[in-house]
Amino acid sequence: MNELKTNWKKILYHNNTVGYIFSFPFLFGFFAFTLIPVLVSVYYSMTNYKLGQSPVFIGLENYRNLFSDDRFLNSVKVTLIYVITSVPSKLIFALFIAYLLTQKHSGVTFYRSLYYVPSLIGGSIAVALVWKTIFSRKGLANTILASFGVPKLSWLGEPHLAMGILVLMSVWQFGSSMIIFAAGLKEISPTYYEAAEIDGANKWQRFTAITLPCLSPIILYNLIMQTITAFMAFTQAFVITQGGPNDSTNFYALYVYNHAFKWSNMGYASAMSWVMLALISIITFLLFKTSKFWVFTEADQ
Amino acid sequence: MTNKHKIQASVYHLFVCVLGLMMIYPVLWMVSGSLKNNAEILNGGMNLIPPQWRFSNFFTGYQGFGGITFQTFFSNSFFVASVSTLATVLSSSCVAYAFSRVSFKGRNIWFMSMICTMMLPSQIILVPQYIIYNKLGLVGTYLPLILPHFFGQAFFIYQMMQFGSGIPKDLDEAAIIDGCSKYSIFTRIFLPLLKPSIVTTIIIQFYWKWDDFMSPMIYLSKPRMYTASVAIKNFADSTSTTDYGAMFAMSTLSLIPVFLIFLFFNRYLVEGISGSGIKG
Amino acid sequence: MKIKKLTALFLSGLMTLSIAGCSGSKPAASAETVSKDTGKQITLRMAWWGSQTRHDATNKVIELYESQNPNVHIEAEFYDFDSYFTKLDTLVAADDVWDIFQLGGNFPKYIKNIEPLDGYIKDGVINTSDTTENFLATTKDNNGSQIGISIGTNTYGIAYDPELFQKAGLAEPDNDWTWDDWKKDCITIKEKLGIYGSSKIDHFIAGVTMRASQAKKDANFFKKTNDGIESEDPAPFADYLKMIKELTDDGAYPDAGAIKEIKDIEGDYLVTGDAAMTWVSSNQVSSIVHASGRNIKIAPVPRLTKNGPYGMGVQSSQQLCISSNSKAKEEAAKFINFFVNDIEANKILNGERGVPIMSKVREAVVSQADDSGKIIYDFVDKIGNFPKEDSNVISPDPKAEIEDQYKLLIEKVQYGDVTPEDAAKQLLDFSKSKFQH
Repeated sequence: MNELKTNWKKILYHNNTVGYIFSFPFLFGFFAFTLIPVLVSVYYSMTNYKLGQSPVFIGLENYRNLFSDDRFLNSVKVTLIYVITSVPSKLIFALFIAYLLTQKHSGVTFYRSLYYVPSLIGGSIAVALVWKTIFSRKGLANTILASFGVPKLSWLGEPHLAMGILVLMSVWQFGSSMIIFAAGLKEISPTYYEAAEIDGANKWQRFTAITLPCLSPIILYNLIMQTITAFMAFTQAFVITQGGPNDSTNFYALYVYNHAFKWSNMGYASAMSWVMLALISIITFLLFKTSKFWVFTEADQ
Repeated sequence: MTNKHKIQASVYHLFVCVLGLMMIYPVLWMVSGSLKNNAEILNGGMNLIPPQWRFSNFFTGYQGFGGITFQTFFSNSFFVASVSTLATVLSSSCVAYAFSRVSFKGRNIWFMSMICTMMLPSQIILVPQYIIYNKLGLVGTYLPLILPHFFGQAFFIYQMMQFGSGIPKDLDEAAIIDGCSKYSIFTRIFLPLLKPSIVTTIIIQFYWKWDDFMSPMIYLSKPRMYTASVAIKNFADSTSTTDYGAMFAMSTLSLIPVFLIFLFFNRYLVEGISGSGIKG
Repeated sequence: MKIKKLTALFLSGLMTLSIAGCSGSKPAASAETVSKDTGKQITLRMAWWGSQTRHDATNKVIELYESQNPNVHIEAEFYDFDSYFTKLDTLVAADDVWDIFQLGGNFPKYIKNIEPLDGYIKDGVINTSDTTENFLATTKDNNGSQIGISIGTNTYGIAYDPELFQKAGLAEPDNDWTWDDWKKDCITIKEKLGIYGSSKIDHFIAGVTMRASQAKKDANFFKKTNDGIESEDPAPFADYLKMIKELTDDGAYPDAGAIKEIKDIEGDYLVTGDAAMTWVSSNQVSSIVHASGRNIKIAPVPRLTKNGPYGMGVQSSQQLCISSNSKAKEEAAKFINFFVNDIEANKILNGERGVPIMSKVREAVVSQADDSGKIIYDFVDKIGNFPKEDSNVISPDPKAEIEDQYKLLIEKVQYGDVTPEDAAKQLLDFSKSKFQH
């Protein structure tokens, strides 16, 4: 009897048991609601599938067509440009503001709310209107430029500027990264700073020697999540530029949506998603690999 | 306070205020738009002060559609967002614990699968997912919107894992020596030390679900069950005219609950919840 | 432990809400047919897209029908245009389309999910005696079966400000003006008044589909069988692109950036006074008139040659269809009959979807129209009286993709990346390739 009980206990407290019990919610959801749709989309990617008609199997034709589709190759290019410009700017800005707003000053709570509000209005039509108004020919952006003697720009009509607007907007909606950074900053034990201050380190030294290393797991997290999110960027381009002008903001997720729903080429859209999944996972994998060199966990402290 | 400190503080406040105003300007424009009519919004440029304070936008907007007012839409949104947020916190923290503190077989594969699920655009799995929910007879209920959150969400699981990586493993070992099981370590050490991450999860997830438009639009059928995001989008039909004033008014109202949630939980972030919980 | 208290508070709030929320969360009942004599409830699901005005009016009509037919319950769903079609596509994939649903000219894409109405018209369930064969034809497929009943018709035109024309020293457009006239007017307006000649034009209609029919009588861009491209000669399309390119370079037509700034028909450059003309669909006229607060008139779309073919008639803007998987098709047909023929119902709908096709209904709606409404009815009448042409009013399946490709080509022409001639050839090649499957 006792033996049975200890055996049972052994099983219950075994790492594998504990691990699978705690990860059960994820595994259940993964098998019940995610895996099947994912496998179905693999199948779709090898078919000519118009919604409402039955999919026709065509093997790898969609994949072959993708690499001769100029609009697709262009969408990959503009998405990469967007990711490379928006993610670092957003993270640096978010970290900077989070750092500012965790300093011991009065009114910090109020300020933090002020900076968070823009992230609460999402990609709604209201925001689209605001941004179009700011960057219209007679808008605020041109008025400010004019006061510096710079000639008016056609923000929405110039391919590079239109991309710039979307990057700026993504930086503007930096709230969730900021909150996560702020929470991370608050977790750094004040004793570190006190010790450093006694050693005579200045603010910048304290920032690079204590803040950045202690925050590195959170920085890695934000970097990876924001990179994946930026690859999926859809709403801003959908409501503000509709992919234009001249396809300069035709992000990959927008192009997928157009093929899937607007033009009902579900099969082609699925193939596109899988090609991009490969690309995104390679980039994510590389980011994970580099993390060994710059992310410090408690073991290293 | 010395003079030097005073100057430093004033520079700080000035800088933060000016930058903050720039950040918030578009939001103020939207709020002021809720008191303008269509012509004033579309052709009135960057003016913040409405030429006439048209509070009537709030009344016409609140009336909603077909006799269903925004009271219904807002409480639907609140229901969906709160339940989903609660579910996300519970499930994600469990999974994060398993992935970060328990070394079990297959852990890395599952972790990688989880990260990969974020890399497929939702538009692609929307149709097969809808077919599953439809076969289960759940379309037209709130379940397709809420249920997935009981299975953890990659974005938050990974976040909790990263916050958890700051918790020294020595703590676990010490607890085991004290007679704690792997299960009680979760409730006694992991969860309490994870509070900052949980608070950020609540703030972000509540907003995401509040703002989410695609799934409520696809899975709900009765207008009485629509969430506020779907109802607000209903104002803007690209083939006919849009009542921008009413739409802005409802968008403004819609900001309030998410902002209150933020204010409420933000305090705990500022105070630093775990305080000196972690010692290196 | 403040947090514990807060969580408790949060939870209790949640409970009360979840009770409130769940009471409304019964699964959507699919349509059930029950024989009439048992007197049991019949539930129909119906959906449409539109604005707040349309949602309110349509809901009122549904209430009216339910009060007259207590055994029928109609579950309505309504969305904005983009959401509507995303949802419809999902439902189509799941074979779960609403019993009654609204469609536009893109119905061939959904043809498998639509129940033809011919039987119900023959049996008299849907009464079409009060309309003409021409109107019924706008919602027939190429085999001649009745796919739906139009619930509003419209046509396109050029809205203009007569005062600005006068200031520029121009005569107002007449019924058979040409694109050359239009171009000259644009340039003169730009020269004299310093504003755009015209605001945004629907290039795909003006430059492609209608253009093909204007270039040759009874010709079409899309074959009438809707399985290919009829146009062979890129020249008429190239000419149009060239004209737009010249006007853009001249500043008489907005460049791509300026076009993006137009947020809405009410923010159109004609309304703001930055242009003297714009492209409108007849059901948008009253919003333009109201938004501008000036005297606005509407002229037919220019022709390619004086006295040449016009290239477009009056079309159905929307129709009601019955889904092929509906279990209560006859009841759905009865409701459609009510929706298009009932005077009371149409007084509530007030022609907001376009001009009604039933003549008695139309009279009733015209009699309650305001001034801007009258402009619409007069204009639609005028176009309806143009000599009849054999134009294709249906959009075949790949139309959306071809149209978007054309929009891109126009931008490339405007930026000088592609010549108009090459763009026209690319348009034809791309369109042909979309039918090869």
